[in-house]
Amino acid sequence: MSKAGSMQPRERRLSLLVTVLAFALPVIFVLVPLVIFLVYSFFSVDQGTIVYAPTLGNYVRFFTDPIFLPVFWNTVVLCVSVAVICILLAYPAAYFLTTLRGRWRYALLMLLLVPLLMSYVIKIYAIRSILGLNGFLNKALVAIGILQQPSTLFVFNMNAILLTLSLLLIPFAILPIFLSLERIPQTLLRASDDLGASGLQTFLRITLPLSLPGVASAASFVFVLAIGDFLTPQMVGGISGFTFGRILYSQFGTAYNWPFGAALSVALAIVVICAILIGERFGRSRGTSV
Amino acid sequence: MNQNTDLLTLRSVSKSYGKVPVLHDIDLSIRDGEFLTVLGPSGSGKTTVLRLIGGLEPLTAGEIRLDGQDISRMPINKRPFNTVFQDYALFPHMTVSGNVGYGLSVRHVQRREIARRVAEALELVQLGRFADRFPAQLSGGQRQRVALARALICQPRLILLDEPLAALDLELRRQMQEFLKSIQREIKTTFLFVTHDQEEAIGMADRICVMQAGHIRQLGTPHELYYKPNCEFVARFFGENNLVAGKLGPVQGEQRPIETALGRLVCSISDQPHLKAAPDGANAFAAFRPEALHLADATEGDNRFSGTIADLAFAGSSTVATIAAGSDTAAQRLRLRIPSRIDGSALKAGETVSLSFAPHEGHLVLA
Repeated sequence: MSKAGSMQPRERRLSLLVTVLAFALPVIFVLVPLVIFLVYSFFSVDQGTIVYAPTLGNYVRFFTDPIFLPVFWNTVVLCVSVAVICILLAYPAAYFLTTLRGRWRYALLMLLLVPLLMSYVIKIYAIRSILGLNGFLNKALVAIGILQQPSTLFVFNMNAILLTLSLLLIPFAILPIFLSLERIPQTLLRASDDLGASGLQTFLRITLPLSLPGVASAASFVFVLAIGDFLTPQMVGGISGFTFGRILYSQFGTAYNWPFGAALSVALAIVVICAILIGERFGRSRGTSV
Repeated sequence: MNQNTDLLTLRSVSKSYGKVPVLHDIDLSIRDGEFLTVLGPSGSGKTTVLRLIGGLEPLTAGEIRLDGQDISRMPINKRPFNTVFQDYALFPHMTVSGNVGYGLSVRHVQRREIARRVAEALELVQLGRFADRFPAQLSGGQRQRVALARALICQPRLILLDEPLAALDLELRRQMQEFLKSIQREIKTTFLFVTHDQEEAIGMADRICVMQAGHIRQLGTPHELYYKPNCEFVARFFGENNLVAGKLGPVQGEQRPIETALGRLVCSISDQPHLKAAPDGANAFAAFRPEALHLADATEGDNRFSGTIADLAFAGSSTVATIAAGSDTAAQRLRLRIPSRIDGSALKAGETVSLSFAPHEGHLVLA
């Protein structure tokens, strides 16, 4: 601080500006919109125009209407399932990556992350065609004899959303798990061997616990991204695959009931914030320094 | 425990990383119950020796025998040795007792038995109060002791220590040296200690194995290595030996002269047949310690020469003088160590002095 005092007036103005911007940008672009949403959630709509009188009506409707809570709950369950599937698939992949040496490791990691660079919509279209009645999945299952004839089980329902979201979000799970596995010092594993542990014991008692922070951040990442997604359910969910994101979308896009949409968003935001907090809590490992 | 039986034997052990050889045909026997230090500069292959014995790396050639049985291909987790790693390698997600008990719990020892032995081991390393702390909450010296307790709880035949004191500050390092030595005496387990610090080696070891460039240069007690180095490398590596090059003269009983730029220097060759057997005129060095050099009255006779004091360095209890001796064409820098005196040293820089050393304090090293 004593340094700031010795600065030239111009420099001081500049550093003040930078400080103000650093605080102002997140406030203007993140906090203010959130507060506006919160405020709007207490308004109501009459004949397509917003009534600016505070009311709890939106929240009462959310908790009492027999539609919203079950959809909300099903969506949370769906996104938890997506997170679980992503972790189960990403962990072995990330673990395999860390067993590779040098160049191969990062080349393969990049390859796994390439899908992130592609357009989201195009990926959904591609996955939809794979899951469809004449898609690759059905043809393959018929070819190896698991199915007698193509099934409609994989598209335009909840299963489709589950599969598509898992496929889309796996890279977000691989990266944090890979990073946490890579950060485990090799000498810890050697020390475990040296003390007489078998390979499985070393994995279960050293590698796995030390990689849990990465698993926690991966899970909260995937969950948050999945629960905020309305495009995927819209495109592959059909009629039965109805998620909370789609309800939200319809409140803003078709019903033009912004206050109610805002109230639903607040409910969603609370779940998201909880997920992030839980991820953060378990993401912090005890005594990371050796 | 019998210090005369060999616990572990390395026979013509070689190791290469790819095409780079790091160990050449090493033969080494470790005696049961001894404290053996492997000493060498970095890149000498000393850590590789430890890693090969511990099973952290496979041999390229040769074999390692434990009680006469080949264990070269025994996997790391089956070897009855435990390692204290240089950076401790404590498990950060386990408490001190979790770390110490790890070796027992992976062997499915009963919980009660583990608790008892962990308490015992922590008592031994004086960390009883810290059982429930995590490694991150401990100081360097405490972590070091946890690592030691973790290694010795499985009652290994041999404990391997890979420069375990390198990360500690000087005072703590001294304490830990004494501590390690006393624990080794108490549990009577064989220690193989790797270090690059010759002072550390001299202070702790029963025997020292000096390595350089993938070869063992000399194996012996600290006293032997200090006073009877067998090659120029060992003579230079062990502290501040004065080495003067010359040619050997004819053997005179238990002594042998060497003609040098400082004149004729007579040195002892007792108990060293290889020095007796060396031909006349062979290139060699006279080696004598700074503390063996004395100020003399006369300049004539064997082991006497004069020199000019180039520099004086006060080193606490002693003062080290750097002396320029010999002719201009064959200048020689020597070090003289004399006790310090409260009223200043008797010597002054620039002064010319006569020096000598007793033949039995001189030693010959073949070039």
